[in-house]
Amino acid sequence: MNSEQSAIQQTARDFVAAHITPHAAEYDKTGEFHSYLLAAAKPSKIFAMAVPKEYGGLGYSPLTQALVLEEWGYGCAAMGTTLSASILSMEAVLTAGNDDQKRHFCKPMLDAGIGAFALTEPAAGSDAGAGVATAVRQGDEYILNGPKCWITNGGEAAMLVIFAATDPAAGTKGLSAFIVERGLPGLIMGDREEKLGLRSSNTVYFSMKDLRVSVANRLGKEGDGMKIAMETLDLARPSIGALAIGLAQRCLDECVKHLHKRYPAKSFPGETLQFDLADMQIQIEGARQAQHHTMALREAKRPFSKESAIAKTLGTAVAMSVTSQAMRLMGSHAYTSEFGKFMRDAKVMQIYEGTNQIQRLVIARSLLAPPRIAVPAMKAGAK
Amino acid sequence: MNQQLTAAQQAVAKLAHDFADEFIDPIVTELDRGVVFPKALIGQLAAQGLLGLVLPKQSSVAGAGFVSHIEVVQALSRSCPAIASVINNHALFAYALEHWGSDAQKKQYLPALAKGDKLGAIAIQEEGPTPGVGRSALLVTRQGAGFKLNGTKAFVRNAGAADVYLVFATGSGGVTGFIVDAATSGLKIGPRQETMGLKACPVAHLTFDNVSMDEASVMGTENCGAVIATQILAVLAVAEAAQTVGIAKAAVAHAAEYAKHRVQFHHPIASLQAIQTMLAEIVTDCHMGWFGICHVARLVEADAPFEPEAGMVKMFMGRFGSKMLADAIQIEGGMGISEVVPKHITGPLPLARMFRDIAGTTLLDAPDDFPDKLIAAGIA
Repeated sequence: MNSEQSAIQQTARDFVAAHITPHAAEYDKTGEFHSYLLAAAKPSKIFAMAVPKEYGGLGYSPLTQALVLEEWGYGCAAMGTTLSASILSMEAVLTAGNDDQKRHFCKPMLDAGIGAFALTEPAAGSDAGAGVATAVRQGDEYILNGPKCWITNGGEAAMLVIFAATDPAAGTKGLSAFIVERGLPGLIMGDREEKLGLRSSNTVYFSMKDLRVSVANRLGKEGDGMKIAMETLDLARPSIGALAIGLAQRCLDECVKHLHKRYPAKSFPGETLQFDLADMQIQIEGARQAQHHTMALREAKRPFSKESAIAKTLGTAVAMSVTSQAMRLMGSHAYTSEFGKFMRDAKVMQIYEGTNQIQRLVIARSLLAPPRIAVPAMKAGAK
Repeated sequence: MNQQLTAAQQAVAKLAHDFADEFIDPIVTELDRGVVFPKALIGQLAAQGLLGLVLPKQSSVAGAGFVSHIEVVQALSRSCPAIASVINNHALFAYALEHWGSDAQKKQYLPALAKGDKLGAIAIQEEGPTPGVGRSALLVTRQGAGFKLNGTKAFVRNAGAADVYLVFATGSGGVTGFIVDAATSGLKIGPRQETMGLKACPVAHLTFDNVSMDEASVMGTENCGAVIATQILAVLAVAEAAQTVGIAKAAVAHAAEYAKHRVQFHHPIASLQAIQTMLAEIVTDCHMGWFGICHVARLVEADAPFEPEAGMVKMFMGRFGSKMLADAIQIEGGMGISEVVPKHITGPLPLARMFRDIAGTTLLDAPDDFPDKLIAAGIA
């Protein structure tokens, strides 16, 4: 971490302490998305941290973004999800869009607008290619029809990336991606879902009824959709790991704080409990290093698909394990306080942006059938 | 497993099972809101004799005993483990009274407890590291022929709903248990605490402001409370494990049903090896846990030494309880994390509630090293 990154991390930490942590419990209780977050974040342009500088954003590197997201996860994984899911949608455009599309999509983010990535459908969860949403070309427009569900930020997003089949017969090769602006006729938003965890992160079902989208809003070519989705998820899913690591660290810190209060000065808890605490920190630190390693690979433009899946799976598994362990160590204190939220949030994180089972498939495939494409050899002396 | 039960025990289990289906399932969402104590429902269970099963001598139910009690707890927990929590805490009070109460105390309380006319509760926990330590500890001092209680008991289940509490207080010579009527002057029930789950069972702190107790309200003898409390926690661990298995069985049945109908990659996901493995692990943990519970329940019923085995059950459930639900939810994905059935889906979707509940039946109610100590003490 260089000094600029330290400064950014500290700024994020201050923002989280001032604007996120104090509201986390209340927002969790009502389960509603609060625009307060966006208003508070607006001056810092943090919702544009992934937007390249040439489009007016902060242009943070992947590692810097991960540092910020860890801080947000530390304050509230639900509000952190609002930020990371917005970046997810943006990555799709930055990956596959042309210059106009990028500029167009990123513009709202400069004013703390958010984006949403709409791939999942009732019939297409882990099997992302099984969707029924269609996009039929009509002149210089596409007419979109079909359902989308479990869409993070969906009801609040200024911009959406929506996937729909331009050639349903071609299966995953017939999927295409479109930029869709909020409020278009034919985009019919459902109510927000009441979830176990990440409650104040907005999640909706929506349907499209003759939603007209300009051809200019298609990302890449017809049929590129699945490729775009997979590349985007590779880029974005380590973010979930970063949020989860922040959540786990927060949970451990609060647990230690509580134990300090509970045990009188100089009376340390027994070794079993001390080792439990140590194991929690070991897991968190391991996951954090895996996370940073993934970011380093990405920044070095080396393959990182496997590591990306590892970062997400490990981070969220650690969050689940640490939050459960904290509940066991603190018993009823945890059951009647914010620790319940930590555990509920962690559980949801094992599912969204690709279940940990799908991540394991990605990892296992790369072990059993590594891609044939040779990794470019490092230049002598390069690090 | 059921063939090990007597016909009478099987009949009690079936009674509870049918009761849960008919009366609890339809109102489980309302119960989970945790706003009002389900007094009428507990009254119905009392009328069936299900509140006094741990008191076989007093009970009117054939086959009453601790084995029947855990069968009932498991059956009710498939629908709503919080109701089982209410009954467990009540039953533990009755169990303690039966074992350590004086003849006069038994005469006064046991018939009413067995019938469920009076609801009992246990107050063991405190805010400090161990009972008697810390600013808010409940302390007892001798005053003439009687006692004065001052301080707080924390996280008391059935608080506010119970008619009578078994309260442990620390004095200069050790810990003593007292039977305290809810109406005792100087006893205050704090506000109901918000819990992650098990919401139909109220939790609150009890504060004691110069509460007078006489010799007749001491349970067992003065200063022998620590032994009683440990024993109670050990029995409670077994009863809670039965709740855990009840929850997990219902969860795995729901997840398996979901997996049979959820088609991804052109087949029901139940045909995927990974899903089969997850389901198999949950069922295995349930099954092995239940064997342990049945074994120790028979020891408890026979008044044989049971503490190390109770510790093992607690340790086992601590390891696998939450994991079973985390995995069941994982199988159902977005449906698994839904607290309210989304409009585009047909319900019910109980796993999110079960996840919150099972944390309460596996991870609370005793210091985290409690099972280790019970087990280690049994090895030497």
